[in-house]
Amino acid sequence: MVHARRGSIGRYYDINGWLFVAPVLGLIGLFMIYPIVWSLWMSFQSGRGMMMKFAGFANIVRLWNDPVFIKALTNTMTYFVVQVPIMILLALILASILNNPRLVGRGLFRTAIFLPCVTSLVAYSVLFKGMFAPDGVVNSTLQAIGIISTPIPWLTNPFWAKVLVIIAITWRWTGYNMIFYLAALQNIDRSIYEVARIDGVPAWARFTHITIPLLKPVILFTTVISTIGTVQLFDEVYNLTEGRGGPSNATLTLSLYIYNLTFRFMPNFGYAATVSYVIVVLVALLAFFQFFAARERDK
Amino acid sequence: MDNLARAYLPRIAGLALASVSFLAVTAAEAKEITIWCWDPNFNVAIMKEAGARYTKTHPDVTFNVVDFAKTDVEQKLQTGLASGTADALPDIVLIEDYGAQKYLQSFPGAFAALSGTVDYSGFAPYKVDVMTVDGQVYGMPFDSGVTGLYYRKDYLEQAGFKPEDMQNLTWDRFIEIGQQVEEKTGKKMMGLDPNDAGLVRIIMQSAGQWYFDKDGKANVTGNPALKAALETVGKIMSANIYKPAAGWSDWVGTFTSGDVAAVVTGVWITGTVKAQPDQAGKWGVAPIPALSIDGATHASNLGGSSWYVLESSAEKAEAIDFLNEIYAKDIDFYQKILQDRGAVGSLLAARGGAAYEAADPFFGGEKVWQNFSDWLAKVPSVNYGIFTNEADTAVTAQLPALTQGTPVDDVLKAIDAEVSAQIQ
Repeated sequence: MVHARRGSIGRYYDINGWLFVAPVLGLIGLFMIYPIVWSLWMSFQSGRGMMMKFAGFANIVRLWNDPVFIKALTNTMTYFVVQVPIMILLALILASILNNPRLVGRGLFRTAIFLPCVTSLVAYSVLFKGMFAPDGVVNSTLQAIGIISTPIPWLTNPFWAKVLVIIAITWRWTGYNMIFYLAALQNIDRSIYEVARIDGVPAWARFTHITIPLLKPVILFTTVISTIGTVQLFDEVYNLTEGRGGPSNATLTLSLYIYNLTFRFMPNFGYAATVSYVIVVLVALLAFFQFFAARERDK
Repeated sequence: MDNLARAYLPRIAGLALASVSFLAVTAAEAKEITIWCWDPNFNVAIMKEAGARYTKTHPDVTFNVVDFAKTDVEQKLQTGLASGTADALPDIVLIEDYGAQKYLQSFPGAFAALSGTVDYSGFAPYKVDVMTVDGQVYGMPFDSGVTGLYYRKDYLEQAGFKPEDMQNLTWDRFIEIGQQVEEKTGKKMMGLDPNDAGLVRIIMQSAGQWYFDKDGKANVTGNPALKAALETVGKIMSANIYKPAAGWSDWVGTFTSGDVAAVVTGVWITGTVKAQPDQAGKWGVAPIPALSIDGATHASNLGGSSWYVLESSAEKAEAIDFLNEIYAKDIDFYQKILQDRGAVGSLLAARGGAAYEAADPFFGGEKVWQNFSDWLAKVPSVNYGIFTNEADTAVTAQLPALTQGTPVDDVLKAIDAEVSAQIQ
């Protein structure tokens, strides 16, 4: 009786409700909030290994004077700017091709293109290393069909190493994005396409004027997800370059730099935490801009 | 039935109690020492041999040698030390000399001091120096990374060179020979991983310098040995006498496959070279080429590592006793690992044994161990400091610029800028 009269505010004082959510709140606090707060506090400390001291903004100042950090940031942004649009467009095109009900064996193709993203990261990196070795299958094929005369130094040249990383992540994640588009395409009414076809709209125009606008929310979603994934890129680079981000730091990403600062170099957990907050800020800003760019302009 | 059970119950209980206490006693006596190290052909095999020897006299102590990749050992160690949970750590861990000071200084109290137990006067002093902090010595010195020039006699002969021509080379002569080898045989002179600054380190140390001076301050722009080393690597790259390798296993593949004519590296590679029985008799070993600058020698060092006992280990006392018994006293052990694995230990007393005198049929009957032992005595001592990984990364970052014709002084400036930003 009393409970019923307390209204919505009253629910805050209901001890039973709090007891029900307490275990989850405790776990969230312990495994999410505590590490986040602690790493933020850590980013204001500096020192070697366990000998940490409060350093104020010294780590943030250090970022500006650190050529390796600048390099890692530039590389990460290069991956983002080059790879994400290629992958999104490729996934869109593949999805609309594989959405065609008259295509023979489309189930097989869908599976084949989706498979890379469920394979083991390490296995595929090792495979890529072998395939793109100086005398690997890629170089010998390209040589055999006469595209190149000398083997491309995929793993030992700064430019080609970057290209290789982009190829690797595109191979792995295009199918993942494609699945989202396929799912969304199933929800578009077939009659829209039929009308367009009757009106004589060519295939490319149907794609750009019907498919893309109707998929806009999904495109936004996949772009944000891919942005986060690319800005946090670690595994591919680590496995392809034996953890070095080489040659010449050309493939080094921010995440790999954090790893190096923590495990390979003189451990400086404070500075590593600062660099990881750079990723947090970067992801937040990029996601914000993407939502901003994709907002509904019409009433 | 009820009576029967009642009659037997005390006996069953007694038996159970007896077996439990028996197990408890055995458990209390048997000690297992867990060891982390890398390289199954070298460190792992050697540690298993050492463990087997100790178990003979101490049957209650068993060993669990865990084989990881080197980077994994380092990462797991650093994570374990940072987390402060000793359960995750082994009793003994292998640490490469370049990184020893880093661990000792940044995780004070994590490693057991062995001074007082171990007689360090018997070891090569440079090995003891890298494990000393504030007068306390931590760790058990293990292998030396004294360097040599391994070369394929058959390829060089085809190019018109005899083993005598490979002695006391300069780097310029080495490159000339490399060009002729390629002309005559089509083989590259050496494998080179542009992501690995090992060759730069070898050449630099052979002239008595390091990335850091005796006080641990960065020594880059005014370092003639580093400059000459970079120039040499630049020349090797522009003369194109190398087969590019991406990563360690790829680099090993350059010579195990017979694609290159020479390998310049630490003595610990011997086991890998000898793992190709079909190449027996085809290899020779010469001192490494020298620079043409002041202080240049034909002797250098690459890598080399030592064993460390964790302070938190439950089997600390046994682990220390084990290392002391085998690695500091067992001369016969060193003879065996030298012959089997090519491990040149840093216990000086072990250098006089029969194994060092022996001729090795794999190397066409050369007394290679005697040579390595002579070169070991000539390795210039340098201070590795605590930032070798950082400096190394800065060097590899600039190697491509070097091949594209950037002047060495500019390259040194860029390395210096990166090193200064990293070492704080």
